[in-house]
Amino acid sequence: MKERINRTVLLVVLAFLVAAPWVLPAIGFDYWLDILAEIIIWSLFAASVNLLFGYVGLLSFGQALFFGMGMFGVAIGIAKLGLGFWPALGFGMTVAIGTAAVAGALAVRLTWHYFAIITVVFSLIFYFLALSAKPLTGGDDGTSFSMPAMLEAGGFELSLTDPTVQYFFILSVAAAAYFLKYLIVKSPFGMALMAVRENDVRASLIGLNVYFLRWITFVIAGGFAGLAGCLFALFGRYASATYMFYHVSGEGVVWTIIGGAGTLFGPAVGTALLIVVREELSNIWEHYPILVGLVVILTVIFAPKGLMGFWNALLDRLAPAPADRASGGGRPNGAVDAAAVPAERRTGP
Amino acid sequence: MLEVRDLHSSYGKVEVLRGVSLDVGDGEIVGLLGRNGVGKTTTLKAIMGLVRTSAGRATFDGVDLTGIAAHKVPGRGIGYVPQGRGIFPNLTVEENLFLGLRSDPSAPQRAAVFDRFPQLQQRLSQKGGTLSGGEQQQLAIARCLVMQPKLLILDEPTEGIMPILIKKIRSEIRKINNSGVSILLVEQNLITAFKICSVIYLMEKGSIVHRSSAAELKSRPDVIHRYLGMAA
Repeated sequence: MKERINRTVLLVVLAFLVAAPWVLPAIGFDYWLDILAEIIIWSLFAASVNLLFGYVGLLSFGQALFFGMGMFGVAIGIAKLGLGFWPALGFGMTVAIGTAAVAGALAVRLTWHYFAIITVVFSLIFYFLALSAKPLTGGDDGTSFSMPAMLEAGGFELSLTDPTVQYFFILSVAAAAYFLKYLIVKSPFGMALMAVRENDVRASLIGLNVYFLRWITFVIAGGFAGLAGCLFALFGRYASATYMFYHVSGEGVVWTIIGGAGTLFGPAVGTALLIVVREELSNIWEHYPILVGLVVILTVIFAPKGLMGFWNALLDRLAPAPADRASGGGRPNGAVDAAAVPAERRTGP
Repeated sequence: MLEVRDLHSSYGKVEVLRGVSLDVGDGEIVGLLGRNGVGKTTTLKAIMGLVRTSAGRATFDGVDLTGIAAHKVPGRGIGYVPQGRGIFPNLTVEENLFLGLRSDPSAPQRAAVFDRFPQLQQRLSQKGGTLSGGEQQQLAIARCLVMQPKLLILDEPTEGIMPILIKKIRSEIRKINNSGVSILLVEQNLITAFKICSVIYLMEKGSIVHRSSAAELKSRPDVIHRYLGMAA
């Protein structure tokens, strides 16, 4: 029942996304196609935060670094190195993933607030480097470029300069990335990540290499953020160091928490909601981030699993699975856990 | 099978293990007894690579365990059920059971678990933390057995469990042992130790002070009284 509802909702959303280039102009929302594309790109960025925070329990405030690396990779690739569309995309991904592999090897030695701090530090270092390396990055002005064609055959040319092509390119890349994320979290590898998130000592006691699992997730998450950065550079024909600032990372964290960390589509839901709020409210009220802050506080207190957690709990109540009904009257998890683990080191709150 | 020789370990300046030596042979159930704080759990953690040792060694089938990382020890064939069971309370029973596997569990692997612990099969989609203490203990043991260990290390498996279930867990341990798995058991419950262990070690202040068969220890109330502070 629950799965059927979720599948139906997913299909409706997908159908809307596919029909959007025709539906939105028809109902007078022309410029919303670009906002929708932006939401899809940023939801990939939130997915990157979510892979780390929601699945291995590492809260990163530095994902903007890899976003920026992807962005500059594409922009510099096209503008300075003269690369074509696909090579530039590959170059952006390589730079982002390479940076994540090196930064991750150091960062995942730490956990919790130490990890959060070192990710901020990494992204700040590269933020200032990007600002000061003016010949390469354009410094404050950033790097802009003109869009190379995606595909040229005879007289035919496919390019992102066509808004519909651009939208479907972004949608299909993001859909593929989300499908990859689904495969990752549902695999035994994804299970292992959750074991690490829950308790790293216990995870190592069942033979899981905690350091490696955290590192490889950091690299994959860096890849997701990098992909979002590549798409965003292509979308805006532009790369700027401002997108490497930790403020951007923080937005990813907020979207993830409000949408639901540790759920597949939570980050996308949070991103969509808050970008729509930003687009609509920022015109009326310039201090709208106060409202966002309030929503984050309320979410953390009343719906720690975010909107998706709330949705799942609602479905469970409306249509409980037989096994869940049988279990009824379970004790609160936290209490059991605290009582059952007196002697062991517990990681995290 | 498992040989521990003169193991030393410290928490900061406090020396917790002062030369622990013990052996677990093929197919044996060995008990490690002692009062609270004498270093029983630390001994197990040192074997599992969770605490650093300053001297001595622990070898398993001839391989030195003291140098290798904690996550590699289970792969050598040692399963460890920590005190307080150490399940993942927010993951489902099914997730808990098969976490350690590199791939999805095969039908025979699933059958092996559910033949032994039929209750767990009824609770597959339930969160581990909502199980009763006894069921959590079964889950913790089942999870280790999925990895097909040659030696199972149990840290106070009957602690905080209803007396009626203790008997069940005891017979479960015996059955596991009969299937060819050696067992190293840390216990506070003397009766459980006497009923299932072949050899018993007594610990005091970080070292082994007595080793004998269970039957022999039973006839030495003076030793029991001295090191465990209770009558058998």
